[in-house]
Amino acid sequence: MTNETIRLTQTVKGSGCAAKLAPGDLDRALCGLDLPVDPNLIIGLDRADDAGVYRISDDLALVQTIDFFPPMVDDPYSFGQIAAANALSDIYAMGGIPKTAMNVVAFPAKTLDIRVLRTIIEGGLSKMREAGVVLVGGHTVEDSELKYGLSVTGFIHPSRILTKRNLQTGDCLILTKAVGTGIISTAIKAGLVSPALTDKVTRAMATLNREAALTMQAFPVHACTDITGFGFLGHLAEMVVDSGHGAHIRAANVPFYPEALEWAAMGLIPAGAYNNRTFRGGFVDFGSGVAQRVQDLLFDPQTSGGLLIAVAAKAAEQLVDALKARGIESAAIVGEVVAAPIDRIIVE
Amino acid sequence: MTNELDCRGLACPAPVLQIKDLLEKAAPHALTVLVDNEAAWQNVSRLLEYHNFQVSTERQGSEFRVVATGKEGGNAPERRSAAPAVKKGESGEKKILVMVGTDRMGHGDDGLGGKLLMSFLKTLKEMGPDLWRLVFINSGVTLTAEGSEAVPILQELAGEGVQILVCGACLTHFNLLHKKKVGETTNMLDIVTGMQRADSVVTI
Repeated sequence: MTNETIRLTQTVKGSGCAAKLAPGDLDRALCGLDLPVDPNLIIGLDRADDAGVYRISDDLALVQTIDFFPPMVDDPYSFGQIAAANALSDIYAMGGIPKTAMNVVAFPAKTLDIRVLRTIIEGGLSKMREAGVVLVGGHTVEDSELKYGLSVTGFIHPSRILTKRNLQTGDCLILTKAVGTGIISTAIKAGLVSPALTDKVTRAMATLNREAALTMQAFPVHACTDITGFGFLGHLAEMVVDSGHGAHIRAANVPFYPEALEWAAMGLIPAGAYNNRTFRGGFVDFGSGVAQRVQDLLFDPQTSGGLLIAVAAKAAEQLVDALKARGIESAAIVGEVVAAPIDRIIVE
Repeated sequence: MTNELDCRGLACPAPVLQIKDLLEKAAPHALTVLVDNEAAWQNVSRLLEYHNFQVSTERQGSEFRVVATGKEGGNAPERRSAAPAVKKGESGEKKILVMVGTDRMGHGDDGLGGKLLMSFLKTLKEMGPDLWRLVFINSGVTLTAEGSEAVPILQELAGEGVQILVCGACLTHFNLLHKKKVGETTNMLDIVTGMQRADSVVTI
């Protein structure tokens, strides 16, 4: 083996959550399937949320999710951390506590040194430890392209589940991480990103949504989701449509990486962003002051993005302050939930 | 000089990088690019528009033929060689870049300085179409943020087509990134490129 630095992103076509199957394709695959029925299944495929929830007893339910994807950064350890943080995020977005995890791995053993896999899993383990999660097993297949992630199981109280579909009129919408990681990942692949920015974005993607989830427990939160492959507006559209409400977003208040805006203008936009726009753009009305590059940024697929929290307006400022006090610097109120027009997101 | 690039079969960001490379090396005045997927088409169009080309597309089945012709002499904004020939706009007016690096004008009395700067910004429109860009750096960025009485003045200028660029690092420094009400966030490369393209730079 040479000592040449491996650039994981050069070995794959798609990056991170930008590699997600287009939402329209997924709907076509799943629509109309005959699903098994069980009265204890609280949240399943029929009302897809961040994670599935199955009731064990009146005060305990299992919350389960799986997430894996190709690398969006070059460093194996960081990739492992980000993939794990991203998978754990779905549990946090539901209001649950993750408990156990299994590795999901596709590895090109013919072209990559097996030590790379070890380093990736070490990265994943570091995040599992931080989350208080035990690794109970895993499954590895040989594949032409590297993929890694986790299947995670957690606990949740059946009456304290935070879904996407409970937006209330007047709620403030809070986002906890800056958007633009899909565009920056594309620019990383293009070799345009400085080591300092790569480091900053890598750390943000590897940051667990645990602190944000713990912080919001003390506030009147009505709904929550995490921002991943469908982008900020794609995930918000799901919340709005599932809840039968509308939303007003102030684009200038959405936290973002300034560099991503420049690269968006230069066309370094992942294909996933265009898919998101094609599929969810119909729910969104942009004001004339919202530049194309900003629109692109709001549809940019995120890897291990932040939580999007709907909280009663009177508590919103306090929640942002509490999040900031816990080190979640990007947290900001980005808009509000309105009663009408329903199924519309107005971005100004 | 016409260039044709075949980027069919390439996934993003490869087509954008190939074009970027060609623009930097050959500085073509016109360019045709073939791509075979929608994301590449959109990305290629954005890059060419970013470099001030006039862009049109012919769609042939699943293939896109993107034709870029030169606007303003057709050169990329950051190309040094482009600077002397393309400075004048099409109607012959000058490009004036005003650099605002402070929240007050002149030295002596700060209250007076603040008022003078507001008056300066209001009067800037007298430059007419020659006023091209306003760049805000250091404490100047506070003028673009929530609560500043300069915001409506700048919004009016922006409405008239004046480009308002606000230093992102400065906004971050003053913790105003999310309070900016007018203008686009910019970086030092944009600022330096803008200075180079301008006919004159006025610094306050």
